[in-house]
Amino acid sequence: MDTNAVIARCFADERRAIDESDRDTFLIGPDDLILITGATGFIGSRVVKNLLDHGFRNLRCFARPSSDVAKIDALTGGACGGMRVELVKGNLLSRDDCSVATKDAAVVLHLAAARGEKSFPDAFMNSVVTTRNLLEACLEHQCLRRFVTVSSFTVYSNRQKPRGRLLDESCPVEAHPELRGDPYCFAKTRQDELVAEYGKKFGIPYVIVRPAYVYGPGNEALPGRVGIRTFGIFLHLGGSNTIPLTYVDNCAEAIALAGLKKGVDGEVFNVVDDDLPSSRRFLRLYKQNVRRFASLYVPRFVSYALCYLWERYSAWSEGQLPPVFSRRQWHAYWKKTHYSNAKLKTRLGWAPNVPRAQAFRRYFEACRERRHA
Amino acid sequence: MLKVAIVGCGKIADAHLSQLQRVKGCQVVGVCDLEPLMARQLYERFHVSQYFGDLTELLTVAKPDVVHITTPPDSHFDIATLCLESGCHVYVEKPFTLYEEEARRLIALANDRGLKLTVGHDDQFRHAARRMRTLVQTGYLGGRPAHMESYYCYELDRSSYAGALLGDKGHWVRRLPGKLLQNIISHGIARIAEFLTSESPHVMAYGFTSPFLRSTGERKIADELRVLICEEERTTAYFTFSTQMRPSLHQFRIYGPENGLILDQDHETLIKLRGARFKSYLEHFIPPLSMAQQHLGNLITNLGIFLASDFHMKSGLKYLIESFYRSIVEGTSVPIPYREILLTARIMDTIFAQLDAQQREVVPGHLALQTADENGRPSSLHSTP
Repeated sequence: MDTNAVIARCFADERRAIDESDRDTFLIGPDDLILITGATGFIGSRVVKNLLDHGFRNLRCFARPSSDVAKIDALTGGACGGMRVELVKGNLLSRDDCSVATKDAAVVLHLAAARGEKSFPDAFMNSVVTTRNLLEACLEHQCLRRFVTVSSFTVYSNRQKPRGRLLDESCPVEAHPELRGDPYCFAKTRQDELVAEYGKKFGIPYVIVRPAYVYGPGNEALPGRVGIRTFGIFLHLGGSNTIPLTYVDNCAEAIALAGLKKGVDGEVFNVVDDDLPSSRRFLRLYKQNVRRFASLYVPRFVSYALCYLWERYSAWSEGQLPPVFSRRQWHAYWKKTHYSNAKLKTRLGWAPNVPRAQAFRRYFEACRERRHA
Repeated sequence: MLKVAIVGCGKIADAHLSQLQRVKGCQVVGVCDLEPLMARQLYERFHVSQYFGDLTELLTVAKPDVVHITTPPDSHFDIATLCLESGCHVYVEKPFTLYEEEARRLIALANDRGLKLTVGHDDQFRHAARRMRTLVQTGYLGGRPAHMESYYCYELDRSSYAGALLGDKGHWVRRLPGKLLQNIISHGIARIAEFLTSESPHVMAYGFTSPFLRSTGERKIADELRVLICEEERTTAYFTFSTQMRPSLHQFRIYGPENGLILDQDHETLIKLRGARFKSYLEHFIPPLSMAQQHLGNLITNLGIFLASDFHMKSGLKYLIESFYRSIVEGTSVPIPYREILLTARIMDTIFAQLDAQQREVVPGHLALQTADENGRPSSLHSTP
């Protein structure tokens, strides 16, 4: 780790205090150290802000050496009494860096991830190996009270669900993620397994948070569950499906609560907002508010057939076309499904602070700005 | 049935295993990585029988006949030495070794033990590259090559690997003598080395950090390289590595006394360049028609190969592996002559020595500028600074 890159800031103005009502339900006090990995990222920076808003005053933000720290600077640049927000730059593939990062940390919120990696080994290394290094470092220091790993909806197989179309925390995850053709799914599934294994073997208290598609300023892409753009045309695959979304600030609140609330060790929480739109409605709003473009609706039976054919051809041709589309992929992304956030609300006391209308307004505005930039 | 093992379970190991599944007469008996989690993920995804976190254990327990080394280049020599000493044939990913001397010692060891070696220059065994080799061997050029041009470009902004490298000051690529260049250019240099006959061609290298890379604050990595290679017998070659030029070419041009050839790796095309001229205005009409016909021919060929399901992105790798295994089983010659491996390593050594020697000189931003020696001749391979 580059020691020159460790920046500590202490502020000495007014303090923010944790609400008395929350104090009893929280695992740690306002001065206990919280480590946030991926702190400069899309969600991570919001988690930092959320923790500061909750009155936590001792944060360690871990980021890659190449990360843009502007978001963290913006958060800590203001006057915050008695706060210590430490920015540590390093590489989670380095055990030494992990050891430095986790020293004295009571809660670890592990958000750093290999999002967008197209190769399985890279995705695995940057998700699973890094997580193992962090867990080992936590064991070394013996002061950890909660390890929160941020997973994804992508790990669910969305098949053989116990309650029909309802996808909740009791649903099975992908048993053979290597067959999905999605490096991110493979890495996240194995990451979840690893954390659970460390919990069982070494008694690490953990919580797994599985957000739905996280949207907001900073991630202006259209969700793949709505459709995909290929050869200049947008294939609308979602149709009347409900699109599982969570606005970035709402998601950050859920991750923070997962690290703070007592009595939820070993639990899994799905994070999805209320009042979810259908894919068709979401696409229509996007076109109305951001830009108009041609899209072609592909009915579910057609998309299933295409995925099946792609899967068969990929196998027959020994991978001449990589198996990026398959029936497993179809079940996970384009099958008609309903979602629940009941457990998140009842066990963590979470509520979506940013209602859908406001969230959409901010998101579309960010999309327009990005388009014109 | 050849027993095969993979050492190093990163991205390129995936490509090897994907192609090994298509190669008949072999069985992958183990994968190994210093990071056991990485070995395990490869073992799980490709249903390999065993995985290991220790090379010695792999060699003693799985007892492979052939080991594919897909680790970072600075470990190639030590791992290959251990594998050869354990009686295994070795496929080493590119670059073969860090220095020519290491390559020479590995080849000597393999010869001593009656074992075989090859290097991962699989691009030279793609469909169009093989057609080009056949044409050259059957005399299409009309004699020895007079001149060659090899382009091997790389789009920094489109590569996650580049992002990891640029964002990590401790990345292993930065520890290589030739840094980014060392990990990439051997493909393009080997294309030239294949057709050189001299053991000691003159080499003049000029490298610098592109304005794009400098704008990111990078000063130590050269990402633009131009090389002039010249044989005593007057065969010359240009090598170009660029991260900035567009299109980002992977092309090889070879010109003989009668005709020339253009191999385009990205388009998987081979174009014949006729040396003789047509009479009068026909020179303006027939060659364009011939070009159109050749491009159409390439299209049809490519479609045919695709429909036959042999147009994989790493089709050259499969062919190279099959050729290497055939040389082991049937006792025939190796697909890449050792002379070519050594010459490629020698040219690269010279390039990096020249860049290194002049790194602290001349114009800021220009990592190297190799000039002629006191006799007005370019520096030769033997006058390594």
